[in-house]
Amino acid sequence: MGKKRKHSETGAAANENKEETAVERPKRTLLGFKDGSSTTTEQQQKESSIATFRNKEKVLVTCSRRISYRYRHLMLNLVSLLPHCKKDNKVESKDSKGATLNELVELKSCSSCLFFECRKGKDLYMWMAKCPNGPSVKFLVNAVHTMEELKLTGNHLKGSRPILTFSSSFDKQPHWKLLKEMFMQIFGTPKDHRKSKPFYDHVFVFSILDDHVWFRNYQISCPHTGTAQKIDRGDLEKMTLVEVGPRFCLNPIKIFAGSFGGPTLYENPFYVAPNQIRSLEKKQKAGKYAKKVKAKTRRKMHQLSNPLEVDEFADMWKE
Amino acid sequence: MMVEDELAMIDPENEDFDPETESEEDEEEQQVVKLAEPSKTAVYNRDGLLERLADISWPDDLDWTHRLNIDREEQEEVDVNDDLAREHSFYTQGLEGIRQAYANFHSTGEPFLRPSDYYAEMVKSDVHMEKVKSRLLAEKKRIEESEERRKARENKKLAKEVQAQKMKERTKQKKQEIESVKKWRKQRQQSGFDKEDASGLDLAFDGGDANKPFQRSNKKRLGVSPGDRSGGRATFGGKGKGFDKKRKSREFRDSKFGFGGRKGLKKQNTAETTNDFGAFHKGDCSAPKNKRTKR
Repeated sequence: MGKKRKHSETGAAANENKEETAVERPKRTLLGFKDGSSTTTEQQQKESSIATFRNKEKVLVTCSRRISYRYRHLMLNLVSLLPHCKKDNKVESKDSKGATLNELVELKSCSSCLFFECRKGKDLYMWMAKCPNGPSVKFLVNAVHTMEELKLTGNHLKGSRPILTFSSSFDKQPHWKLLKEMFMQIFGTPKDHRKSKPFYDHVFVFSILDDHVWFRNYQISCPHTGTAQKIDRGDLEKMTLVEVGPRFCLNPIKIFAGSFGGPTLYENPFYVAPNQIRSLEKKQKAGKYAKKVKAKTRRKMHQLSNPLEVDEFADMWKE
Repeated sequence: MMVEDELAMIDPENEDFDPETESEEDEEEQQVVKLAEPSKTAVYNRDGLLERLADISWPDDLDWTHRLNIDREEQEEVDVNDDLAREHSFYTQGLEGIRQAYANFHSTGEPFLRPSDYYAEMVKSDVHMEKVKSRLLAEKKRIEESEERRKARENKKLAKEVQAQKMKERTKQKKQEIESVKKWRKQRQQSGFDKEDASGLDLAFDGGDANKPFQRSNKKRLGVSPGDRSGGRATFGGKGKGFDKKRKSREFRDSKFGFGGRKGLKKQNTAETTNDFGAFHKGDCSAPKNKRTKR
């Protein structure tokens, strides 16, 4: 059973006297609110909720037109990693705004969407949205390495469920919490999905560093000892990870309340658009000639205003 | 800066391929560009975020096997631009994650790793993995070769040193021997031994000559060509001792010009000898020879 439940049980054991009188905050489940009147019914309800809970996540993966090949490969890599996803045709980026995409997701009967938008053939934005009405996030994607790169030597089963590891900074702020939940739902393969394999041989690493989310995918490799399929403790120590790829780094730009739109809930205060960066650079470069001319004239003025003193020894040896 | 970045994006080959020590300049560039201080107008709707989180999140008491998530406590801040440290932190996060996951699976008795006889489609195709393997092998071979070359180079250097050392030792030994012989002679002289049986030994170690035992004397004899071992005596046979004056000039001229006339004429180039490259063995001696044989 889950950890949380154990915790609540121990908590209940600690104050068993007050248990009846204590008014607990109603907890949300998929079935609605539950009233914690007594522990037995609660447990039953828990059991039933667990029994009835079925993760039916389905992710639509698409991209905009004129996406560059590297980013397209990244998208295809993600498609191969997510057995519960559906890949769709490219969407014209002009009409990729809001409504059309929502419609498309609904048409494909998906519950979330990963949309790769490429602008100017160089900047990749990734939209991650929970579809009918959930929040959506827009990321800028940096540092892309696809699975095809030969330095990433790992390999794992197609469709095996990943173990998702999150760094603890995901629990520090609400927007990171929200992102964590979304990553967990979208990148985690649903249990008992028909395309999933019954083993676990890779791990996704989501880590926050410098306000970016870094993604890594590692294969779990373990030296097999003899014929035994079970792993003992000694082998656990010898377990190593081999990187499979892809890698990318997500810079969250905005979080919206609706899917592909709606009121903004979060805005990255440090974000500078790549266009802005480029224009700044161009400006710096453009100023070069003007600066040179200016410096020249200034030098001239300086020389004119401070003439050299006549050297009295100048013609000493020129008799 | 950005151009470099784009190049890195386009060309996957321009990176160092060692997974541990890669240079990810593109990432660095991305990190550098950032507002110095947070903009004041940025929206941050804490309640809204929490509300949305509550809306989408799964029930709290859900079985762990649905989520498969593992949180890891971070030990220390990692510098983003330090590729090695960064990747290491990701790696350790993953490793600790799977250890914990393994413990969780172990308690429920679920299978964890893929058994070795379970074959199914993999994420990367066999063709691709073959490529990866060949690359690894090539890399290994390259490293080995360079290592070998380096070793050879070092050996050469070492051999040179050893040789120099040996030479030094040899000269030292020689000096020592000479010194010892000198000493011995001095002793002998002091003890007064020499007067009696000087005749035998003193010929061998005679005076100043003993200092440079095997050197040729530098005295040049007049009128003797340097290669002439007989000291110019071969040019004239036994002759009477009466014609001393005449003989001297005769001797000189003979040794200079040889007996059968002037040698110089024979040594001068003629038309045939200038065109003859047969004895020319400098550099690529084969080329002119071949030309000649073709003609």
